[in-house]
Amino acid sequence: MMTTVLFILALGLPLGALLACTSPALRRALLPWLWLAPLPSLVLAVLAEPNAAWSLGNEQFAVHFALDRPGRILLGVAALLWSVAGMYAVTWLHDQPKQGSFVVTWLMTLTGCVGVFLAADLISFYFLLAVLSVGASGMVLQGKGEDALRASSIYLGLALLAESFLLAGLVLLAAAAPNDSLLIRDAVAALPSSSNRELTMTLLLIGLGIKAGLVPLHFWLPLAHGAAPMPSSAVLGGVIVKIGMLGMIRFLPLDIAAPNFGLPLAAIGLFGALYGVAIGLTQQNPKHILAYSSVSQMSFLAAVVGMGLTTGAAGTAVAVAFYAAHHLLVKGALFLAVGVIARTGRRHLLPMLLPAAVIALGLGGLALTGGALTKYAAKDLLGDGLAGTVAMISSVATSLLMLHFLRTLLQNTHVDSNARPPNGLAWPWLIMALASVVVPWTLYLVIPINTLSQALAPSTLWDGLWPVLLGVVFAIGLERWRHRLPRIPTGDVAVVLYTLGRANAALGVWGERLDNVTRRWVVATMTLITLAILFVWEFVR
Amino acid sequence: MNTATLFGLCASMLIGLGLYGLLTHPHPLRKILALNVIGSGIFLLFGAIAFRGAAAGMNADPVPQALLITGIVVAFSASALAVALLLRLFEVTGDVSLANEDPAAHKDTSKDRPHD
Amino acid sequence: MTESPASLLLVLAVLLPFTGVIFGLLIGGRHVRTVALTTVALGLAVIGGIVWHALGTCSGSGTAIEYVLGGWSPPLGIRLRADGLSVLMLLAVAVVISLVSVYAHADFAPHDSGKETRAPLVFWLMLLAIWGSLNLVFVSGDLFTLYVALELLTFAGVPLVALDGRGETLRAALRYLLFALLGSLLYLLGAVLLYGAYGTLDIQLLSQVVRPEALSWAALALMTVGLLAKTALFPLHIWLPPAHAGAPAAASALLSALVVKGSWFLVLRLWFDVMPNVVTLSAAQLLAALGAAAIIVGNIVALRQLRLKLLIAYSTVAQIGYLFLMFPLAFGLAFAGMDSAPALTGGMLQTISHALAKAAMFLAAGLIYLTLGHDRISDLRGVAQALPMTVTALALAGASLIGLPPSGGFLAKWLLLSAALESGQWWWGAVMLLGGLLTSVYVFIIVVRSLAPAEAGWMPKTRVPQYQQMAVLALALSAFLLGLAALSPVDLVQLGRTPLSLLRGTP
Repeated sequence: MMTTVLFILALGLPLGALLACTSPALRRALLPWLWLAPLPSLVLAVLAEPNAAWSLGNEQFAVHFALDRPGRILLGVAALLWSVAGMYAVTWLHDQPKQGSFVVTWLMTLTGCVGVFLAADLISFYFLLAVLSVGASGMVLQGKGEDALRASSIYLGLALLAESFLLAGLVLLAAAAPNDSLLIRDAVAALPSSSNRELTMTLLLIGLGIKAGLVPLHFWLPLAHGAAPMPSSAVLGGVIVKIGMLGMIRFLPLDIAAPNFGLPLAAIGLFGALYGVAIGLTQQNPKHILAYSSVSQMSFLAAVVGMGLTTGAAGTAVAVAFYAAHHLLVKGALFLAVGVIARTGRRHLLPMLLPAAVIALGLGGLALTGGALTKYAAKDLLGDGLAGTVAMISSVATSLLMLHFLRTLLQNTHVDSNARPPNGLAWPWLIMALASVVVPWTLYLVIPINTLSQALAPSTLWDGLWPVLLGVVFAIGLERWRHRLPRIPTGDVAVVLYTLGRANAALGVWGERLDNVTRRWVVATMTLITLAILFVWEFVR
Repeated sequence: MNTATLFGLCASMLIGLGLYGLLTHPHPLRKILALNVIGSGIFLLFGAIAFRGAAAGMNADPVPQALLITGIVVAFSASALAVALLLRLFEVTGDVSLANEDPAAHKDTSKDRPHD
Repeated sequence: MTESPASLLLVLAVLLPFTGVIFGLLIGGRHVRTVALTTVALGLAVIGGIVWHALGTCSGSGTAIEYVLGGWSPPLGIRLRADGLSVLMLLAVAVVISLVSVYAHADFAPHDSGKETRAPLVFWLMLLAIWGSLNLVFVSGDLFTLYVALELLTFAGVPLVALDGRGETLRAALRYLLFALLGSLLYLLGAVLLYGAYGTLDIQLLSQVVRPEALSWAALALMTVGLLAKTALFPLHIWLPPAHAGAPAAASALLSALVVKGSWFLVLRLWFDVMPNVVTLSAAQLLAALGAAAIIVGNIVALRQLRLKLLIAYSTVAQIGYLFLMFPLAFGLAFAGMDSAPALTGGMLQTISHALAKAAMFLAAGLIYLTLGHDRISDLRGVAQALPMTVTALALAGASLIGLPPSGGFLAKWLLLSAALESGQWWWGAVMLLGGLLTSVYVFIIVVRSLAPAEAGWMPKTRVPQYQQMAVLALALSAFLLGLAALSPVDLVQLGRTPLSLLRGTP
């Protein structure tokens, strides 16, 4: 009973607030209350009994929602970030002109996001994903100038491209499911015996790969995260990039070994994990560095999924969700930090910068942080072979990238060395920083991933120290070579897209010419007669 | 060669001639005439079919005749509408060419194009 | 079946609009709008009655509604027949017609001075005539009545194209008329050949006797191609863009949303109901290939347009292509011995959601033109401020065209995509997805540009009445929520229809 109420509130509160936005007056009045909308989801994630479910509809057609373990972990931390970022947004936006549209896109994305985390059938998953994508591209559009417009259009374009692949994959999944069931669980269970298994998984992996920002279709991510307003960047970089991961957990039959899909995915992922760091090191804007770090981290996670898929390891889903939850908290917090430190003078910097340093290095796996726990949980899945080695290199590289981030953060402080950040920004940031250490520990012990003594064993601690120390050494080395680093434009391979734009224009001219020719009277009449003959021929054949 | 075949061949010739005229003559009035020639061909064919029904022992198949009358009325209205439009077009523009249409659509678009 | 009062409603659905036309002509200019709106209200009630009855029979006997005119049964007499397809089309057209009438209430008001009443007079009469002829197309049971209905539809559409009397619209109207005439002559030729071979034009009688032989191949090819010319399927879209873009907004909405659907519906009747055993899969593939070309070329050219109305017109060229993708899917499934009903339902949903969405888009473009004094896509600043409901409507209608859930376009895409993959014709699925992506580009551009803020101190050229915006929004919303039809407990599409596989027999 209580679970049902929580389900209704978790989905209904953001949706109701979104519908209330049809009134322009209410729209602006809602801004101070944005932080409330995700709270029912948080309560649901904490309190719901295992495998809680809720459905709405009749026998002909119903939408189903459910809370499995990975979904629960991710929903809880996502709701926390949404709520805190909502508080941050009040101060961030108080003197901005476009508050109304910010609120609309925020609530639309939130509705889609909560829905996607909870969706248990194919149709509502796709529907809510579309809501999320449209809302998120609107969020990017709230940024300033032509850059935001370009980033937003590329974001929406790639999102819809991904959803086209996904739709085809979902239709195949639905066709494979027994008794016309549209439940994700039934469809995925039937997938291994489907005759279209290879095609389905390829389509799904392409779609989800784009959503997760895998190289080479990752370029939308740094562009979008760089252009959006700060609170939006935090949820985009923290929550929204996880959708691809969540989809992989949901839709891939992880308990069955499928090395022909797992190994390529792992290879692409491990390559992306290093590629994201390499490009990130050439960036100067802290937001772009964080975005490239997301590319790297999501690729790394895809590699974990790939290795899990290769061996058919049943624990993959929870390990991935745990890793993703930590990244969600840290990345969200760091985006908030960028905004705080830009308004902090040198003299008050330390209390703001120190937590940022700790949790940033946590991404590299710094001992005692949540990062060390997540790396530890993923370690067994990657094994000791090549993948394990690359994972260690990735830890070192991530530490290096985070040191680069901290360095650019230092260069972006307020010009007035006495400036203090407004409380409305500083507190949300500190709450998130604290949460990104405390929550992973709690999850580690509650799920449970492993024992406390394991996490505090000397060998584990050493594993969490040396990559970071090595990263520091490299960072010092890099300092000497900094001026030799190439300047790679944000969005790197998106440059190709601009040349594609030219080819596209040529295609347009060609289409226009074809259109003009076919619309000549003589040509049209001749076509008509030819078509008649063609049809007769086709009937006779 | 019986009468029905002769009518049929005649009808096909009319349809062919009409199509040829429709293709080769740019003047709209000639196109209207060409369409009428095609129409006559079809009506002739229909008449031949009714006649063939008569050859089968009936007194002449009445259905095609009824349909023919309707068809002729429709064709007549179509021609009238087309000629009226043509006259109006001549009044307004002083020109009856059908060739160049929507000049506004095909300017150089490079400046106004959204980036893609 | 015996005639019930509901059967008489079929006659009324056709007669009422034409009675309105005659009445309007007699009473004349000043009251024509009142006559038209009254007729629309009455007609809506008639259609409502038909739908109500159809829903009733759907769960009951499951037979189509029929009426035999004058008690003369075919082959000598004429039969009106409404199956599931007809009822759905009747309903969709009635919704579009009535909302367009609400919108046009302000645009085509009769002038009190009595000087220039030509445009309102022609608009309202032709609106009724289009409605009457479309209803006739949907309920006709024989091929010759269908010919007359199609001609009436063209004759009603042509004056709407040339409503403002400018030279270029007159030229567009003449081109439309001449090309459509050629199309209907080809159709007539095909019908004549069929009569010559089988001695009847009644759809049901014909479907029982028609055989796959040279004559029926020729007849079906001629009729199909003639109808394609009237539907403006690429590359036979010679007349569509200038005609649809040049007419006033309300007229464009009627032409683009409804008039092209008439001849499309007839192709559907011919292929699915009259000659399913003559049709071959490769011919259906050819039809869909033309559709695919329409989707790709139409969308690419739409992206090149500078004016909103031309863009929407080219979007119609592309969307017409979608309507023909269902043919190989349904026949592919039927050939493989599977249920072809989902493909047919998908195609019908595609048609109806396009009718609703496209009407909304053209009307929205009309309001934007009134507000800005132009419709250049490069400068739509301030539209969202002046017309918030209209921009919402544009976005919702666009989402339906792209196929985002829960729109009718999405449900159609889902059904057609499943059919494509199940019948092993994934390439048509790929075309659908590609088309959706191209559509999203121009919808995004339009919506984002109209969201841009206006210059300080800018004032709209004309204040648009609120109810016009609401009519547009209602159209867009019905397209956007059409996907919820999945919740419907009855399958109206299949009312009174024989499954394709049974009609075909075993090949």
